[in-house]
Amino acid sequence: MKKGKTGLSAFFGAVGGFFKEFGESVAKGDLFVKLSLVWMGAGYIRRKQIVKGILMTLFEVAVLLFSVLFAGQYVSKFGTLGTVQQESVFNIVTMQNEFNDYDNSFLILLFSVFSLIVWAVALVVWFCNIIAVYRLQKKAEAGEHINTFREDLISLINEKFHITLLTLPVLGVVFFTIIPLFILIAVAFTNYDQNHMPPASLFTWVGFKNFASLFGGGGLTSTFGYAFGKILIWTLVWAVFATITTYLGGILMSILVNSRYTKFPKLWRTLFVITIAVPQFVSLLLVRNFFADNGIMNTFCAAIGLTDWLREIGVISTSYIPFLTAPGWAHVMIILINIWIGVPYQMLIATGVLMNIPTDQLESARIDGATPRQTFFHITMPYMLFVTGPALVTDFVKNINNFNVIYLLTQGVFVTTDQMMASSQAKETDLLITWLFNLTQSYYNYKMASAIGIIVFIICAVFTLIAFNKFLKGDREEAYR
Amino acid sequence: MKKLVALMMAATMTFSLAACGNQGGGGSSADGGAGSGAPQASVPAEKQDVSLRIWGAEEDQTMLQSMIDSFIEEYSDYANLTVELGVESEADAKDDVLVDIGAAADVYAFADDQVTDLVKAGALQSVDSMDQVLQTYAGKSVEDVKSANAAGAVEAATRDGQLYAFPMTADNGYFLLYDSSVLSEEDVKSWDSLLAAAEAAGKKVGFTLASGWYNASFFYGAGFSTVLKEDGGTELDWAGTSPDGYTGVQVVQSMLDIAGNKAFMPVADGDSANQIASGSLCAIVSGTWDADAATGVWGDGFAATKLPTFTIDGKQVQQGSVAGFKLVAVNSQSANVGWATLLADWITNEQNQQVRFETRTIGPSNINVAASDAVAANVGIAALAEQSAYGVVQTVGGSYWDPAATFGTMIAQGTLSRDDVDGIQAALDELVSGVSQPPAAE
Repeated sequence: MKKGKTGLSAFFGAVGGFFKEFGESVAKGDLFVKLSLVWMGAGYIRRKQIVKGILMTLFEVAVLLFSVLFAGQYVSKFGTLGTVQQESVFNIVTMQNEFNDYDNSFLILLFSVFSLIVWAVALVVWFCNIIAVYRLQKKAEAGEHINTFREDLISLINEKFHITLLTLPVLGVVFFTIIPLFILIAVAFTNYDQNHMPPASLFTWVGFKNFASLFGGGGLTSTFGYAFGKILIWTLVWAVFATITTYLGGILMSILVNSRYTKFPKLWRTLFVITIAVPQFVSLLLVRNFFADNGIMNTFCAAIGLTDWLREIGVISTSYIPFLTAPGWAHVMIILINIWIGVPYQMLIATGVLMNIPTDQLESARIDGATPRQTFFHITMPYMLFVTGPALVTDFVKNINNFNVIYLLTQGVFVTTDQMMASSQAKETDLLITWLFNLTQSYYNYKMASAIGIIVFIICAVFTLIAFNKFLKGDREEAYR
Repeated sequence: MKKLVALMMAATMTFSLAACGNQGGGGSSADGGAGSGAPQASVPAEKQDVSLRIWGAEEDQTMLQSMIDSFIEEYSDYANLTVELGVESEADAKDDVLVDIGAAADVYAFADDQVTDLVKAGALQSVDSMDQVLQTYAGKSVEDVKSANAAGAVEAATRDGQLYAFPMTADNGYFLLYDSSVLSEEDVKSWDSLLAAAEAAGKKVGFTLASGWYNASFFYGAGFSTVLKEDGGTELDWAGTSPDGYTGVQVVQSMLDIAGNKAFMPVADGDSANQIASGSLCAIVSGTWDADAATGVWGDGFAATKLPTFTIDGKQVQQGSVAGFKLVAVNSQSANVGWATLLADWITNEQNQQVRFETRTIGPSNINVAASDAVAANVGIAALAEQSAYGVVQTVGGSYWDPAATFGTMIAQGTLSRDDVDGIQAALDELVSGVSQPPAAE
């Protein structure tokens, strides 16, 4: 926590310093520095950095043109997301619909966010520009050397190489991550859904209404609270079991495969890794059919009399074993099947870690007369936990959102008999993520999907932060030694 | 960007309009003698270059291509048409259309349960608004389209009095498929005799209880209904008494009697073909899509008929059913909506419904084609036609399916007991309230 605070205060300190320097630049700058407030190239041209001055002027012109020709028409409608509904009149001569000059809410949102980001970048450049030309002024006053354009370019592959390297990735992050993210967040505050779908109709801002209908007034459906509670519990149970079973299973498997008594270790390892090579949706759908009410497993169990025996002792009431179709059975089966899917990954990770356990420690333990069991619990496991702790946390969060396994194993197979669950379009085996997927995806309820996405993100982020702070406390390494 | 394109398009339109205006008089007289379905005055003198995109089912691609070829040929006097054919399942066309309506095909086929959602999103061009195009180029009116197709198909494609799609098939319904070497025509008349005969033969009768599409058939038979409400929820009268005088509880008791019979097998939704193939069934309620599987197992014994009657309150009542249709849509955002309408009309007209039946044995919605001897001779389609007298066009909201499937599963697994009238009534009440809510947070 302490470290976080220093990081935060350092950040605000830097921001404060930046604005202080800007203020100083404006106050103490000469005529050309002040002129740079309006004409960005002015300061450079005064110091004979002609190319830079021209580039800056071009940049300014480009931003102004962009604002007037492109951004203006969208950002001006950002407050309402458009007011003109699409209308069309059919023209028999052209055989086409003639549309009015309608607004497309989604394009307004998209291009507004894009424009705002461009403006934000331009603003930062404008601030930096003033500071830069003031520094130039100070250099000129002190009689120091002022870089030519050529020298500036050379510096980009020498002392300022980090800037050259990072430009492309940063642009990529802005375009492919930040803009979509902002738009998704913005959608959570609109009424973008099936009834308000561009281009045929408009959507608009609704503030926190979506979050209110998610949590207030009984929730999304009449039995929302009931279903939410049941599903949240199963989600957490699932995440804990799925994480722990595959983790321990992976370690045991890797010790087993790497044991010196095991013959052909490479063969075994390959066999287990094959489950990774087959795409999950193929293997899971096969397993689903395998355990279906009239699948191979049920035929087999009926043939050896297991089904009848279970019915006699009253465990099941159906003529088949409901492996994936009854609550309880399905919960256990899903966790078991997940072990089969998840263990190979953990085995590979564990193999890597185990091979790096300092041999001197193992050897001294052996010399001291420690049993293999003691070695395992006092050296191997603590070392494993120390190294893979952060991975364990991410695994847990990943399992909270483990859509694939649950969806592929139960979709279209599991039908709940709990009417309260059904009224919320939920079933006992749903995770939060699959349930919310069903609730929103089939109705193109983008606004709710975004709102829920934000909530799930907050849950996962809080959990990850807490867990990482616990696992990554600075003195962990000392404690281990 | 889009705005710029729209602006430019508007500009070109204005120009072309002016051009047409100039040529109007001369153009029409020059065209006057061309072709039999003589287009009227407003046809432009110059042939337009028009490109269209169409989506159809994967199995239909070859047939659709030949229909497209004949379409291009038919209208070659008026436009240089190019049509691009793509694959899209009719069952979930709306999932891809509603991602981006502007990017969807100009014309596509879909199942009638998607009409409500597509209309809501403004994705469908009203066919009624295209009357002039059909009159000018196809020599028929929208009324002709409506009267040429089965009333149910037109009803399924109509919302708020507007026809929103062209009816294409009337085969999306279910009936009784059975093995005539085990069951006689008498046996399949009622559930009681059907189950008794099946038990005597050591076979089973399959029915998909875990689906609101199938299990509603008992309620429809007893006179109950499903109504789509304004807010997107579904209104059921199942918890009360039907106009025919039966109560919902009595219907559930009848269903429990059937489901409790040893010869009855509840089939998981979508699993019917597997169950037929397993050979333990002698009859199943399913549709034309299982005709091949049934022929494979039962051979010459394969027969089909309307659904049986069931006993309710000591009386025999004909089981109802859902009449399903496949329709062809015109995208409201299509750049060439007029030609798209003509294409949609073309692939669903009488001639092409005939082709569709001949090449793919798909049941036609066109009344003339359906009345032909060849269609009547097809076992499955004939049974469907017989059942269609008791068929209902099912218009329900999205929140209907899960509670209805759960209700059917409760009956299949015997969670409800026949004598527990209060329990059944409570379950019905919960069902009614569950399906009545609008889809999540509208």
